[in-house]
Order: sequence, then structure tokens, then C-alpha cells
Amino acid sequence: MSAYCGRVVIGVIGDDIHIVGNRIMQLALEESGFQVFNLRARNRPEEFCQAALEVNADAVFVSSLNGEGEHWCADIRSLFREAGLEHVLLYVGGNIVVGERPKDEVVKRFKQFGFDRVYHLEPDIGVAIADLQEDLKHGVAQRTGCTPEYR
Amino acid sequence: MALPSAQAALPSIDKYRSQVLSHPLARGISPDEVRDHLASVPRERYPSVAYAGHGPGPCIQPRGGFPLFEDQYQLTRQLDGAGADFIPLTIDSYTRQNQYETATKLLHRSEEEEKNYLNGYPLISHGYELTRQLYCGLKKPVSLRHGTPDARLLAEVAMASGIAEIEGGAICYCLPYSEGFPLDRSLLYWQYVDRVCAVNSTEDLPIHRESFGPLTATLVPPALVIAVEIIEALLAAEQGVQSFAVSFGQTGSIIQDVATAAVLRKLARWYLDDLGFGAVQTYLVYHQWMGQFPMERERASALISGSAIVSSMIEADKVVVKTVDEALGLPRAEMNAEACDTVQYVLRTFRAAGTVTSPMIEREATLIESETKSILNAVFDMSGTAFWESVCRAFRLGYLDIPFAPHADNSNKLLSVRDGNGSIRIAVAGNVPISAQDAYLERELLKSRDDRTDKTYRQILTDIRVMV
Repeated sequence: MSAYCGRVVIGVIGDDIHIVGNRIMQLALEESGFQVFNLRARNRPEEFCQAALEVNADAVFVSSLNGEGEHWCADIRSLFREAGLEHVLLYVGGNIVVGERPKDEVVKRFKQFGFDRVYHLEPDIGVAIADLQEDLKHGVAQRTGCTPEYR
Repeated sequence: MALPSAQAALPSIDKYRSQVLSHPLARGISPDEVRDHLASVPRERYPSVAYAGHGPGPCIQPRGGFPLFEDQYQLTRQLDGAGADFIPLTIDSYTRQNQYETATKLLHRSEEEEKNYLNGYPLISHGYELTRQLYCGLKKPVSLRHGTPDARLLAEVAMASGIAEIEGGAICYCLPYSEGFPLDRSLLYWQYVDRVCAVNSTEDLPIHRESFGPLTATLVPPALVIAVEIIEALLAAEQGVQSFAVSFGQTGSIIQDVATAAVLRKLARWYLDDLGFGAVQTYLVYHQWMGQFPMERERASALISGSAIVSSMIEADKVVVKTVDEALGLPRAEMNAEACDTVQYVLRTFRAAGTVTSPMIEREATLIESETKSILNAVFDMSGTAFWESVCRAFRLGYLDIPFAPHADNSNKLLSVRDGNGSIRIAVAGNVPISAQDAYLERELLKSRDDRTDKTYRQILTDIRVMV
């Protein structure tokens, strides 16, 4: 095994081509010791799932900046389940919905989609990295999922 | 080794053009009729004439493109009246991506609902006959601004409309704008655009080409900007283009702006002369801050004024201006007119004081020049038979590497941050072939940074938001 503290797939979902944040996220995760597999822009949910399977990922970070996230993310957890990747942590962040909506409501909605952590309009990726380190402390298999079927 | 050469000019362009012009949206453009029309427009519509006739200080070019003909007509008159020296025609993003049907559909919807569903002027949907009427009586050059990797039809329609300045290039309009458009195809399609510009030119009145130096406008080290600009000038010269502007975006450091301008001007001339293109006229264009703009209008206005002074200091031939509403979305016509007035006022009030220099500027210029030459030499030294192929491979190998370009062929190994005086430094060169000595100097200069012990990604976030 490598000296990395975890393997993370990252990428922007939908037809969004905002790449600056994606590149910075890669740097930030690498600086914290993670091995990063960057799918970059324009990905469908299936591509995140295939990549996670291929690299044996511990976590997947899905980004959206133009608000397409809500449309694309609804079924992503079931895709992971079908691929036998229930143990993979799913994080989502960026500007993930269209228009201004209360943060609580957005977080709740994405947690229902099966995401473990939701970062809506969070300016610093450092918060998510700290959470990831915490979530991986006890090994991914023992994580307590956010939706009933994973508890 | 494949040096740029006039031998690379596309053969049998007439046949190729007839294929491109067979597109129904070309609406029967005839190359002969276009040449006649270009000969009939006022001489002042040609950038070479406008540059020659302009007094001291840079020419001013605002921005702007609206979907409806009437709005674009009003904008053109407003900008003309407000003292713009060049009139922009900014194209909508569907047309840029060759999605002409969608652009036409959204144009009709915009006309019906009197609401803008496009972020620019859909030139191909409007067609050349109508667009000629936009510019009846206008005695200033019109600049086509877009972002199109395949601009063959667009450039044809623009020239048929009497537009004598075509912005863009195979690299600058592909790498920063597209994720997947193949770079080799972009290079070949831009050969077509350059060649048609050349065949539509006369000795007196050349169709002018301009490259887009800001690229991603996100921490791009000057040596890479200059290398790309010179490569695009050489690619255009290969096809017979006689009038070309290189450009760059405000770096965020006056030292680096002055040094970049000096090296860009000097090396563009030197390489063109050295490779047998001495007859090509070159100009220098400066883009006001292309990064994230402050939300507060007072600050935005200060930034616009400050960079207008820099454009004067570096003796740019043209400055492309921003508006105080930059951070808020697409600016209204009035804002663009107001920006022309502000910049004109600053340029009149703070005239150039001749060539500015200092030991810090000298040191910066020496470093940038050395790095640029290393990069260009590596591109020239590649094996192969065509210069454009070397350029394509240089990206795949990461010899040319543009920070934050979304394109799949960009290697993303280079890492850049600002030093203590705001200059962009190469922290990690990746595969960009600068000398060990230059790489060392870059890292040494980084030591002037206060927060250098902080995480790199935090430093980059700070640097991107430097003007906010």
C-alpha cells in the first residue's frame, strides 16, 4: 500500500465547465496526503461510479458550480449501491442548487440523495478535508451512513 | 525540427473555401464580392490605418455583444459616440461552439419575447447582409471577439460583413475555452482562418489578426503567455497574415506588466524577423484585469483607472477596457460607454513618460526573456515536418502548460503563485522546459511572500482573489 492516507475521486458533474475550483481542490487534497483521481469537468454520475470502482476509492467528491447538481445527484447513491460501493463516502459541494435557497433545506435534500456530507456555498475546501480525515479515521466500512439503509 | 515557414501556407484555398461556403448559413457568400466589399469600406475600418492615425497613447476598445440587431446597432453608435477607437462585436456562446441552429432558435425567441436569451451577437444567424448595415457610415475598425476553435464560417461571415479584425487563434481560443475540442483540429481550422485573412488582404489594407493573450486569466506566468503569443503570430505569418497584434492581460504587478510588455514586443519582432516574416506588422494590446473583479463600483472604477495608467506606461497600441459592473454579469451599453470615457480621461490626464524601467523591471524582463526562449527553442527543436504539429505535441508533453485551462490536452503540472510584490512566479515548472537556473530564481523570488508557510491551495485562493 502507498503512503497516501486515502484515495479520492473528484470531478465536476453535468455540463459545468468551471474548472478553477476543481484544480484547487485537487491541490488541497494532495497537500493533505490524499491520492487524487481527477475527472475534471463534464461528468455524468456513472463516470464517478466507474472511477470509484476502478481506483478502489475511499471517497468521491462531486462538485457543481452552476447549480446542475440537484438534477444529476438524485440517483447517484443507488448507482454506487448497485456497483457494490456502498462503503464509499459521497461528498457534494459547490453551488449545488439553482437560485437562493436556505442552506438547511439544501443539505437535507442532498442527504436524502445519500450523500454523507454536503457543502453548499462553503468557501474553503479545508472544512471538507478535515471532515474526510475524521470520517476515514475508523475505516470506511464502519462509517455510519446518513440514510437509514446504510446504518 | 520544423521551423515556421511560408511553405506551410494552405494550398488550393479556393477549393477549400467553396466547401466551407457551401453551408446554407453562408447565404451564398462569394469570395470576389467579399473582396469588392472590403475594398469599398472606409479605409479607417482597417486596424493598420486606425493605429497609424491614432495620436499618442493607446487606442480604446470596449466590449459588447447583444443578440438583437437593433440593440447591437444602438451599442455600436453609443460606443462610437463615447470615444471608442475600436468597436467590438462579441459573439454568443452557441455560435462559438458551432451550434448555429440553437443560436438561431434563441435569436427568434429573443426577438419574439424582447428578452435576451443569448450572451452575444449571433453573427451567423443574422448573416452578412444584415450585419453590413450595422456598420454603414462607421469609420472605425470592428473587432470580432469570440472564443471559437472552429471559426472558419464565422470568420468568413465576419469578413463578408466588412469586419477587418479577427481575434483569436488555435491555442488561445481552444485551451481556455474548450474541454474536449481536439487541439490539432483547432490548429488546422485556424490555418484556414489565417489563410482567408491573408487572401482577403491587400498590400495597403491587410485584414488584421489579434491573439488573445490573457488565456485563462488565472495566474498564467508571463513566459507562457509570450510563448503562446509568438507561436500564434508565427502560425498566422505562415499563412500570409501581414498585420498581427500580440496581447496580454494585466498580471497584477506593475513590475511584471512593464517587463512582459517589453519582452513580448521585442521577441515577437525578433522571431518574426529571424524566421523570414519581417514584413509582418506587429502591435501590442493590453487587457485590463481579466480576473475576478471587485463588487464595489468605487473599487472597480479605481482598478480600471489604474490599469489604464499601466496601458499608457507600457505604450500599448490598444487597451481593452472593463466596466464597473464587471463582477455583476453582462454590462449594459451605457456602462461600456462610461468605461470608454473613464479610460479616455485617464489616458489624457496621465500621458506616457517614455519607456519606464528600474532594476527590478530589468531583472524581471531578463528572467521572462530567458524562460520564453527556452520554451520556444524546445518547441522548435521537436522532430517532425510541420510547425503546427510541434505546437500540438508541446501541449501533450506539457512543454506548454496553461494553469487552469479546462482542456484535456493541458498537462496541469505547472504550479504558479504570486511573490511578495504580486508578480506571478513558477513554483513548480512541471514539464515546462525552463532552465534550472531560471527555475531556481523563480523559487528564490517566492521567498518574498509573507504567507509562504501556508498551504499552497490557500495561497492560490488568495492570489486569484487579489483584486477583489
